[in-house]
Amino acid sequence: MFERFTEKARLVVVGAQKQARERGADAIRSEHLLAALFAVPDNLAVTVLGALGVDRDVVEAEVGKLRPDGTPIPDAEALATLGIDLDEVRRQVEEAFGPGALDRTRAAAGRRPRGHIPFDRTAKKVMELALREALHLKHNYIGTEHILLGMLHSATGAAHDILVSRGVRQDATRIIVEELVRGRRAG
Amino acid sequence: MTDATQVAAAASSRDPAVGLAAVASLRGLLESLEELQVTNARAQGWSWQQIADVLRVSRQAVHKKYRRFGF
Repeated sequence: MFERFTEKARLVVVGAQKQARERGADAIRSEHLLAALFAVPDNLAVTVLGALGVDRDVVEAEVGKLRPDGTPIPDAEALATLGIDLDEVRRQVEEAFGPGALDRTRAAAGRRPRGHIPFDRTAKKVMELALREALHLKHNYIGTEHILLGMLHSATGAAHDILVSRGVRQDATRIIVEELVRGRRAG
Repeated sequence: MTDATQVAAAASSRDPAVGLAAVASLRGLLESLEELQVTNARAQGWSWQQIADVLRVSRQAVHKKYRRFGF
């Protein structure tokens, strides 16, 4: 499937993994794909979203709000509610066992997603629907614009909900995409 | 910790999302600390029985859990 992706669409997929990791998520979800769109310079999806009044700040704020439902609370924050200062524990442990001792344990490695983070159901669905959108528009590649359209199908997760809450509609977006694609190269 | 923080902590821990996350993080921290200490004990030549006694678990339990570490 990925061989038909444009360079920018590939960067979105890679960026989604980074988004998920930085947010401490155990899976790449649709909202990570949405946030990743804004990390790829000059792409068609962001141009379309801009035209519809959705910018990076809007998406960041909305994705940030999702944490209690999806992404776990960071350990330091969770332990602080019990009066445990994780930084202090780490400092004490490192004094005895050397730098990075606590985070180097197998127990810690098992909890922390490393390297490959799997796509969850919603992110997979977005990618499938991106392919379907490309076919529907008779495009022989999958670009960022198709990923965006993939998010706009119903029941594809938080990305869908965020976009819809901002008044982004699938049919209108598709029309804008078609017009822009006629005018410029895919992206 | 200030009084205000304590109050905030006590209040927020009634939220299951926060309270359960705290327990999970604590368990994770416990696992890391236990692993460090067991590794260190083995490196210093402690037997599984000695380690188990101090951890207050059975020798089998500690051996089963850490034998894959190869020490």
